[in-house]
Amino acid sequence: MGPVVTAPIVKARGLNCPNCGNAVELKGFAHTLRVTCPSCGTMLDTSEPNVKILHDFQQQLTRTPLIPLGSRGRLKGIDWDCIGFQTRAVEVDGTWYEWSEYVLFNPYKGFRYLVEYNGHWNFVTAIDSIPEPVAGSRPKVKYQGKSYQHFSHATANTGFVLGEFPWQVKLGDPVGADDYVSPPYMLSAETTTDEVNWSLGEYTPGTEIWQGFRLPGAPPPVQGTYANQPSPYEGKVGGLWGLMFLLMVLLVVAAIVMSAVAKHEVVFHQSYSFAPLAPEPSFVTPVFELKGTKNVELAIKTSLSNNWAAFNFALINDDTGTAYNFGKEVSYYFGSDSDESWNEGDPNATMLVPGIPPGHYYLRVEPEMDKGLPAPRTSGYVSPLSPRAAAAAAATAEKPPVAMSYELTLTHDLPTFSLFWIVILLLPIPPIWRSIQAASFNSRRWAESDYATGSSSSSSSSSDD
Amino acid sequence: MFSHPLYLLYGIGLLGIASVGGMQGWLATKPDVVKDVPKTVRDNPGAYRSHYAYYSRYTGGK
Repeated sequence: MGPVVTAPIVKARGLNCPNCGNAVELKGFAHTLRVTCPSCGTMLDTSEPNVKILHDFQQQLTRTPLIPLGSRGRLKGIDWDCIGFQTRAVEVDGTWYEWSEYVLFNPYKGFRYLVEYNGHWNFVTAIDSIPEPVAGSRPKVKYQGKSYQHFSHATANTGFVLGEFPWQVKLGDPVGADDYVSPPYMLSAETTTDEVNWSLGEYTPGTEIWQGFRLPGAPPPVQGTYANQPSPYEGKVGGLWGLMFLLMVLLVVAAIVMSAVAKHEVVFHQSYSFAPLAPEPSFVTPVFELKGTKNVELAIKTSLSNNWAAFNFALINDDTGTAYNFGKEVSYYFGSDSDESWNEGDPNATMLVPGIPPGHYYLRVEPEMDKGLPAPRTSGYVSPLSPRAAAAAAATAEKPPVAMSYELTLTHDLPTFSLFWIVILLLPIPPIWRSIQAASFNSRRWAESDYATGSSSSSSSSSDD
Repeated sequence: MFSHPLYLLYGIGLLGIASVGGMQGWLATKPDVVKDVPKTVRDNPGAYRSHYAYYSRYTGGK
């Protein structure tokens, strides 16, 4: 068994504040270039052996970090000490937008940063390589195979500092900040007169930070939609549409199967003729058997020509005496005028009688036609026919009544598809609703960018799906 | 497919309703039902009148 190798014990470096004499601990060791005295708020330059005062009481302690300096927490599987805190702000259209930045340090991993704005947190790592610009209508960069869209450019100013910093932080220092997003990641380029520093941020829920640092209470509530906040609809909308199309296919298959399985059994077929002046128009058909509770369709095929007929039907169960009454009016008119030939109505018709229980049935039929008598005219009656068809009907009524021949065909066990059409309308509702939600989320994200509608840059948005 | 269980359930439910309802004619117009029609109707069809018989059938008026 070889010797046990343990990590070296690291001790923090310390100094006394030249202003108030308070002990100041430097957890960032030699990396710390600036530190503020936790007692008096004086900013000290620790880059040289002789610690210099940069600002006396450079600020009142007007900000309280949500993560107390000196806290140790575990994020992304690594322990971090929170050693610094600063606020930065940008001015857009006369409004200042401020965010907080926390400096995290691990002696073996170096520095990381937590950036918080309106309850949105990013775990930020400085990167050494420079992302590659991508040609396009809008600025883009590519980093580690992922494309990032430009989100915004602003000049940020440091407003408040507390603790240790691995760079020479100065109050009021301006820095050009360009953000590129590819949720949940964000690339940021901070440009000063001397250099450009790139960093990669990963959107991190506040609850994860609170758990990692064992902070009391709950993180501040999230407000609005952040630039690299992952869409809750990411990858879900496409799947939903795919499933909808699959269900549509199943619906078509079900319709085909239903149609194929249904027997379409003709249980009664007979031809008749009808004279309008017959003394008793009603009659009954022979008894036929219906097996199983199924739909029944009655088809009427008439010889109507510029005429109308009405049929009263009763499908009567010979065993139980239950009658199912229904009726149908059939009319067919045609002719020609100076413009064209025309026709209205149909000499044939079908009726569906749903869910008829099994049993022995017969059909009572009572046809009715114009008897050549004066037409009953009701005050306010509006004919369903067009003026020319109504004129043709009136002309027909003035002539002697004409007999009609017709055929009745009763078909048992056949499906109806009206519900299928309703399902076709209902199935896309959830995907449409989810798509609207995803687009709305994306729209809210880009509303804060330089590319929002009405901003000086072009308007556009990326897809969340 | 199974990443959207609620939608899958919703779709299959609709499919089932459409299939069963299609075979049973759920959305078709229901006929008027009259109970205990006497057997004599077969011998005397004119004695039976459904309410359809009292509708005005005239469709040719202006």
